[in-house]
Amino acid sequence: MNYKIREMEKNDVNEVMDKLLRLKRLNSEFDYALKVSSANEAEIKSKLDKIINDKENHIALVIESNNKIAGILISDIIFRIYYDPKYEARIREFYIMPEFRAHGAGSALIDEFRKIINKREIKMITAEFPSMNVIAANFYKDLGFRELIKIYAKVD
Amino acid sequence: MIMKDSERTDNYDKIAIDISQKYKGKIRTLPRVPIHSLDDFSVLYTPGIAAVSKKIASDDDLVYDLTGKWNSVAILTDGTRVLGIGNVGPHAAIPVMEGKALLFNYLGGVNAIPVPLNVKNNDEFITAARAIEPYFGGYNLEDIESPRCFFLLESLQKQMTIPVWHDDQLGTASIILAGAINSLRLVNKKKEDVRVVFNGAGAANIAAMYLFESAGFSKKNMIAIDSHGILEPERKDIDSLMLKNPWKYKIALETNKDRITGEVSNAFKGADMVISASKSEPGTIKKDWIKSMNNEPVVFALANPLPEIWPHDAKDAGARIVATGRSDFPNQINNSMVFPGVFRGVLDARSRGVNFGIMVAASNAIADYVKNPDYEHIVPTMNDFDLFPHVASIVAKKTVESKLARKIDSQAGFLRTATEIIENNRKLYNKLFNEK
Repeated sequence: MNYKIREMEKNDVNEVMDKLLRLKRLNSEFDYALKVSSANEAEIKSKLDKIINDKENHIALVIESNNKIAGILISDIIFRIYYDPKYEARIREFYIMPEFRAHGAGSALIDEFRKIINKREIKMITAEFPSMNVIAANFYKDLGFRELIKIYAKVD
Repeated sequence: MIMKDSERTDNYDKIAIDISQKYKGKIRTLPRVPIHSLDDFSVLYTPGIAAVSKKIASDDDLVYDLTGKWNSVAILTDGTRVLGIGNVGPHAAIPVMEGKALLFNYLGGVNAIPVPLNVKNNDEFITAARAIEPYFGGYNLEDIESPRCFFLLESLQKQMTIPVWHDDQLGTASIILAGAINSLRLVNKKKEDVRVVFNGAGAANIAAMYLFESAGFSKKNMIAIDSHGILEPERKDIDSLMLKNPWKYKIALETNKDRITGEVSNAFKGADMVISASKSEPGTIKKDWIKSMNNEPVVFALANPLPEIWPHDAKDAGARIVATGRSDFPNQINNSMVFPGVFRGVLDARSRGVNFGIMVAASNAIADYVKNPDYEHIVPTMNDFDLFPHVASIVAKKTVESKLARKIDSQAGFLRTATEIIENNRKLYNKLFNEK
């Protein structure tokens, strides 16, 4: 398949939000603590606007096929005060539409992301996803990632 | 018509309970060997029988020559989806499994044994199924809920070296395909070109979609509908399907090339054929939907006991060919036309497995068996007793071609074997029940 990867733009917000909500609904399948809250589209839009504008602290990409968004990647750039390397690019949101999975879209998006952070001399990439998401775990393992930190939750 | 059907159903219910109370089960063990006195047990049992065990111990394949494994099938169920009555558990499933065992024997001469399992999850089912394999030449999975049934069938087919069949999927899919083949011959359309709507995405229809693909139908021209609407790659619950029902997920990704969405009626527009295994309620398929189909539409309304649309309504709306699951209308799509012949065939070839290629061969054999198909005769009827050895011989031949057979013979040879087994078995029934 032919893909085009580019930075996320303001015009993409509606389509990106659709992908984000798909990702969150997928996450909700893994744990009740990830239940998707309803009717907060305005807040999500405003958050996305901030991310798109704040290029110093975020990298946000879309992958397109036939002028349609096939996937998204949103990351935070984190300053690691106690550790080396000093900067980390953490993938917070990563979603590929089902029909483009297993067709190279996901790894193409990660490759492009790597190139961008290399230019910014960021040496470390991390990715977060629900503990029970074995598919995501295997995807990152195949790309040479390993488990680093665990988050435990208790909901009263 | 509805009253008449319900009265008939009540009558069947009463007789079924009376018979069960009277006979306390429908099957039993009978000897294959002559036996006249206890002395015979010196060779049928110890000491002589140890020699037979030693032979098998030295050559495992001899188990097919020296024991009843060659003709024995386990009917495995967990009782999670028994007929239309749901999850009633393994004990309540027994009457149904006994009836199935009797059908296996009566139609196919197969020694089928009900094996309802007390299991809590898929792993326990698979462990139990693997453990009891030694005596059986094949497994028939029966009345297991979806999507668990897909997982169990796929896992057991991979792990076992005997054929594993799930009749609710594979048997139904095969007879649907046979009916579709003859329907297309009659309306003069090609399988590669037709648009087929699968209304309902349960065990039978999902299996049918994969089988139709194996038979040469284009998956891109298929559209599947489930209880949430038309399946397509961007449907909102697609990720949930990926996790919970990967078989349906794959269908959603690979079918519906035109990305038809929205109302169910949209799927019918311009379609050539609808295969419905959905809600048992006339009116589930609307006449207007059929009116919107391509010329000479073919409608299979297979829900039992009541079809999704009455045949006369479907015909009024322009359907050229209508099939249902019922014996009181023309074109009954009934999996009992498939499994006795298929099992006779795989057992006679001592097959290591069964696959879509073998099923397509069985469906073609069933379709070809109808010498002069017409709009009201697209599949054989249950009275066509010759069908079973015929299907068995084609299945056994295909098993040999697929390199799954432990026993090699020609199609004519397999036909002789199957005919002899089934006819001898029928003679036994006549002797047992004193019928001439």
